[in-house]
Amino acid sequence: MVTPRRRLAVLAGKATGALSRATRRGGGTTFPGDVARAIDPQVLRRLIGDLRGGAILITGTNGKTTTARLVAGLLQGMGARVVTNRAGSNLIYGATAAAVAGAGLDGRLRADWGVFEIDEATLPAAVEETRPVAVVVGNLFRDQLDRYGELELLARTIQGALERLPEGGRAVLNADDPRVGEIGLGLPRPPLWYGVEDRSVSLSELPHAADARTCPHCGARLEFSAVYVGHDGVYACPNRDFARPAPEVVATSVTLDGLDRICIEVGGVRVEAPLGGLYNVYNVLAAFSVGTVLGLNQHFMAESLKKAVAAFGRQERFERRGRRFTIMLAKNPTGFNEILRESERADGRHFLIGLNDRIADGRDVSWIWDVDFELLAGRAEVVVPSGVRAHDMALRLKYAEVTAATEPEPDLGLALDRLTEATPEGGDAYLLCTYTAMLDLRALLVQRGWLRPYWAT
Amino acid sequence: MAAAILGDVSRGDPESLTIGWLYPELMNIYGDRGNVLTLYQRARWRGLQAEVVDLDKGATRAMDRVDIFFFGGGQDREQALVYDDLIETKAVPLARALEEGAVILAICGGYQLLGHYYQTAEGQRFPGLGLLDVRTEAGPRRCIGDVVVDVDPELGLTPPTLVGFENHSGRTFLGSGARPLGRVRRGRGNNEEDGTEGAVANNIFGSYLHGSLLPKNPHLADLMIERAKRCRLPRLDDRLELAAHRWILEREAARRPLGDARAR
Ligand SMILES: [Zn+2]
Repeated sequence: MVTPRRRLAVLAGKATGALSRATRRGGGTTFPGDVARAIDPQVLRRLIGDLRGGAILITGTNGKTTTARLVAGLLQGMGARVVTNRAGSNLIYGATAAAVAGAGLDGRLRADWGVFEIDEATLPAAVEETRPVAVVVGNLFRDQLDRYGELELLARTIQGALERLPEGGRAVLNADDPRVGEIGLGLPRPPLWYGVEDRSVSLSELPHAADARTCPHCGARLEFSAVYVGHDGVYACPNRDFARPAPEVVATSVTLDGLDRICIEVGGVRVEAPLGGLYNVYNVLAAFSVGTVLGLNQHFMAESLKKAVAAFGRQERFERRGRRFTIMLAKNPTGFNEILRESERADGRHFLIGLNDRIADGRDVSWIWDVDFELLAGRAEVVVPSGVRAHDMALRLKYAEVTAATEPEPDLGLALDRLTEATPEGGDAYLLCTYTAMLDLRALLVQRGWLRPYWAT
Repeated sequence: MAAAILGDVSRGDPESLTIGWLYPELMNIYGDRGNVLTLYQRARWRGLQAEVVDLDKGATRAMDRVDIFFFGGGQDREQALVYDDLIETKAVPLARALEEGAVILAICGGYQLLGHYYQTAEGQRFPGLGLLDVRTEAGPRRCIGDVVVDVDPELGLTPPTLVGFENHSGRTFLGSGARPLGRVRRGRGNNEEDGTEGAVANNIFGSYLHGSLLPKNPHLADLMIERAKRCRLPRLDDRLELAAHRWILEREAARRPLGDARAR
């Protein structure tokens, strides 16, 4: 039944959304949620009750947006109507705003599924209000600790949320992440584990940024027989009290084709996706696992994933003035190492690095010292340090002995001009940005007419 | 170019710098690797043979020839993991090395562990190494944000400031055997009460500043190398370092003052 209060909450939320889109305030993604919740704090819970399928939540440090997008794509491919908070507003207000936007004027949510990317710290509230059928935890890396306190606490928060999953709700977990492994092995009901098994894409050692190195039970140093992304790999405690759970959904025969394509085999089915990088193998695998929980056909999923598109800003490409540009989002050491490695595979030589220190980026920029910018030394032909903290970035490059680094240029527009000039015609240029630097850069590109605004894409 | 040697050198080779990194895997939060990298590169750029020795759990290899120790912070779990090893295997060789003129820089959790004790919110006390006359107790909230410090003039640093980023909930109080590294112009520092930041006693340096600390404070990095090698170092081109340092000073000067009631 639609209560008058709920209907009012939905209508007020919708009006706010329309208003903020009209005034172009950031695509109008969370204000409607704030307004609707102020009128009816139960509005999300009530709207979710209208879903014919249910809610699916995606959390983890890296890959939330892409995974949510892939899952939504799978469901849409079956003709289902899917509500998503795809603009990247992943607190409870963002999820509420998405549900409000999907509701009709009668206050009912007209959709089959809700697929929400959810901030790790928000998971308990989101689980309670959406009673999800599946919750993906992709990984837990060090990220913006000044916002969340310590990873330890976050792991316990996530575990607590998963323990309270409703009957019929399934945790879908990355077995390769020791912290996620620890969370899942402590759950009363067994999760669905997924993981990668292909030594050919393993690194030779843990990167500096890896932080889950020790056994949660005895404190011994974990032994890794393969390292894929950050601290994600195949691990075991030498004292045999903790080891990577055997995954049920496994990616084998991994082929990485620069930034353009990944190809894996899952349970005998060949799965291709037009996304780059090993981290996207995990995102594809997570989506495939959700599909498995929902009972989707494997061949159908493989077909559907072929048409995947990278999430907004994660890997966006455009051509201007005879150069090919790729925007890549990097928000923490592990993510940054991955995109540096991707750009290396693609033989990238021209870079702009936009480093901001606003709340959404993490106000402490210390983390850049954990990123292996040494990968650029001797390879890059030009690197323009930019963003609010361009000076810190320039310093990091100096100590990595990246001699191709230019003077710091905090102004993203001027930095872009400098990079464009330094990139030969027909060449590739990479724009590596933290979250708000990416938003700033994108706004600038829209202003110049190089890109379309994101609410129009 | 080799460093000009001024005094008597008792530790190691005058043409080399050995950096001992305490628990590089477990106590390496908030990018404190930048401190080690800064010491390493600034020694190398002056023609010194620089080496980083990892001092993980159980390892004491080469502690007797380390010139500068670095001890960073960790998360609670990691800190608990290194605690026994620190007391059992590192305490004695570390104290001996410091007596012989080695230098140590300890940040955040490492800084707390150099003191007499850390007292939890429940009143439980964990004894530290007692190398630095400071005591730490759990505080009511986390102190997070940019910090500008007017550095102790005794250290003779130019520029006379340090910049960094703090993120800690422990509150550290100095005894008479340690001097503050400086006074906070911006930020909260040791304990939010007395306006001090960090602690120094002879060659022992403790601080709450991340950032990382040394890259944007090259004068402090050089002071440590000079103290360890008892020499005067030739100057480097520090325009980029000092521009980054100045940038923080200017931004903090332009911000509204903090709305807290801390006594100055
Ligand atoms: Zn163990």
